[in-house]
Formats: sequence, structure tokens, C-alpha cells
Amino acid sequence: MLLALIVAVAILVAALMALLSQLGGAGGGSSASSEDVGKLYSGIPQNGTTLGKSSAPVTIYLYEDFQCPVCGQFSRKTFPEVVDRSVRGGKVKVVSEPLTFIGSDSVPAARAALAAGEQNRYWPYAQLLFQNQGKENSGYVTDEFLKSQAENTPGLDVGKWSSDLKVSSVTKQLQAAQAKAQSAGVNATPTLIFSGPGGQTKLVGLYDYEQVSQAIAQVE
Amino acid sequence: MLGALAVVGLLISGYLTWVHYAGVVPVCVGGSGGCETVQTSSYATIFGVPVAALGLVGYSGLLLAALLRGEASVYLGLLVALVGTLFSAYLTYLELFVIHAICEWCVASAALMVGALICTAFEAWRLAKAP
Repeated sequence: MLLALIVAVAILVAALMALLSQLGGAGGGSSASSEDVGKLYSGIPQNGTTLGKSSAPVTIYLYEDFQCPVCGQFSRKTFPEVVDRSVRGGKVKVVSEPLTFIGSDSVPAARAALAAGEQNRYWPYAQLLFQNQGKENSGYVTDEFLKSQAENTPGLDVGKWSSDLKVSSVTKQLQAAQAKAQSAGVNATPTLIFSGPGGQTKLVGLYDYEQVSQAIAQVE
Repeated sequence: MLGALAVVGLLISGYLTWVHYAGVVPVCVGGSGGCETVQTSSYATIFGVPVAALGLVGYSGLLLAALLRGEASVYLGLLVALVGTLFSAYLTYLELFVIHAICEWCVASAALMVGALICTAFEAWRLAKAP
């Protein structure tokens, strides 16, 4: 019967689309695998929350909250280009200032990233947090969730990471970031403060690479 | 009726496709960022093609079925609405249980697809009944 055939074909086509969606989901330019995360940062020096050569003349202070959706968009869409085109060449270094104002889940996420920073793996860990970001304050930041990102972070010793979650250095860094945000007048995320020999400038919200590179040029 | 649903669906899919390529944040009532989370998740594209663009294709098919006359167009409409509804159900499942965020545009599109399915199924049933 024709109707039965149509229904069967429809089910087949929909199932195929669902399968493709599972397989090809990362093809939109966002790197969701640990190899991609490893590749993006390979060869670039990492020192705690600083990414890039310490001699880089321009510094971008990136105030972000791991639950903030726009920060997630920035990390997935714009940041890889910033790393490739501005950080890798040694002109720019980025310092992440993890803030936790969105909700209580922001704290364990930030602590987990800082713990990875104790092994100088903060940046790939942070990127994985943003790649797998859930809805803010939905409770998605569970111990399993954080551990799974640690397991996917290339070069991270998960055992050491786990014990570093509770160290006081991590607490101090969180408090320092909070204090810096207050004195810099940062009240929204993501906020990018560009600082260089030519001065300072600020961008708040989601920007594309062209706008970021203009801000870099302003302070060079 | 089907035509009206298809046009609204085209508008929504068109808007989301534009949002994807313009790199902007979709307008989201409720202010919780659910739309951004869903639209920037890895499930929002299939091999680089935004899912919203698939919606454009689907709704165009429905519009075509609504405008043409004849048996073939009824079955075309039914096929597209079935695929659209099934795929929308899968996407809604992802929103609820995997991405943990709801995008109101996707919900609206899913509702439109179900509406389209009802229309096309009714048309097909009428066709089957007619002597």
C-alpha cells in the first residue's frame, strides 16, 4: 500500500538524518574532540591561566563565566581564530579571569579549570567546558561532567587534577579574579580588556575576529 | 492551511539560518540563553550545514505540496511532514536530554511540523476515501 510505503520511507529518511546529526555534528567549525583541542594549543606556551608567550606586547584579559552562554559562543566561534592568528605568532597573550556570578554551578566549573591550570592545562580544559556547555544553572556541572572533561584534556593527569580541585591556590586565584573584576568595573561576561603599549580598550559581549583584531591594533 | 504553516516555517528556518551565517545571537524570550546554547551546540549543524537550512528545504517542500494540485502533491506533503515531524521529535529529545536547553524557535518549528502532519494526513485520508 502506498501509504505504508510513504511512512516506511519517512522513518528511514528521518533515521538517516538523526544518524548523520550524531556523526557530523562537529562539522560546523566547532571542534568538539580532544584531538582538536590538543591541536589548537599545541606549541603555544601555557602558564596557569595565561596563554601565549610571556613576552607578547599585547595582553587580553578575558573575564568569563563557564556557565555564560555568550562566553561559550565566543570560545567556540571566535577564540580559535584569535589563538591561531594573534596568539600563536607571539603578538598577543590571553589571561583568563574566571568569574562565578551566574550561579553556584559556576564555582565548581571554575575550580576545575583552575585545577587543570595547576598542570598548565587550563586552556584546553576551559575549551572543553565551553564545547560541552549546558543551560545555565540547570545543574549540568556534576562531578562526572567535570571529570569527563578532565579525561578528555590531552596531557592532564586526572588523579592530580582531582586532588588540586581543593587546593588553596585555586581558591586564591578565584578571589583574585573577582577582585580584579570589581576594580576594573567588569559587570558582564564576556568582557575583554585589551592592554598594550598603545593603551587600553574594552569589548563586552560577542565579537568576531575582525573586531578583536581591531582592538588589538588599537593598543599595540 | 498547509501553505500558511509552510510560510511561517520558512520564516523561522530562514531567520535561524541567517543567525547562523551572520554569527549573531538569536532573539530569545525568557532571557535564559537557551536559544544560543542550542544554536551553538554541535547538534546545530550536520557536516557544516545548519539544521535550520534543512528546515528551509522541508518547509519549501511543504509549500510546494500546498500550492500544487493532484495526488502526487498530497503524498509529497505527507512524506515531508512525516520526515519533518520525526526529525523534530529527535531534535526535541536532544534539547531536553542531551543539550539541556530549550530554543523556543525550535519548539515553534516542531509544533508547525506536527500541524503540517495533521493537515497532510487529513488530505491523504480524504484522497484514500474518495472513490
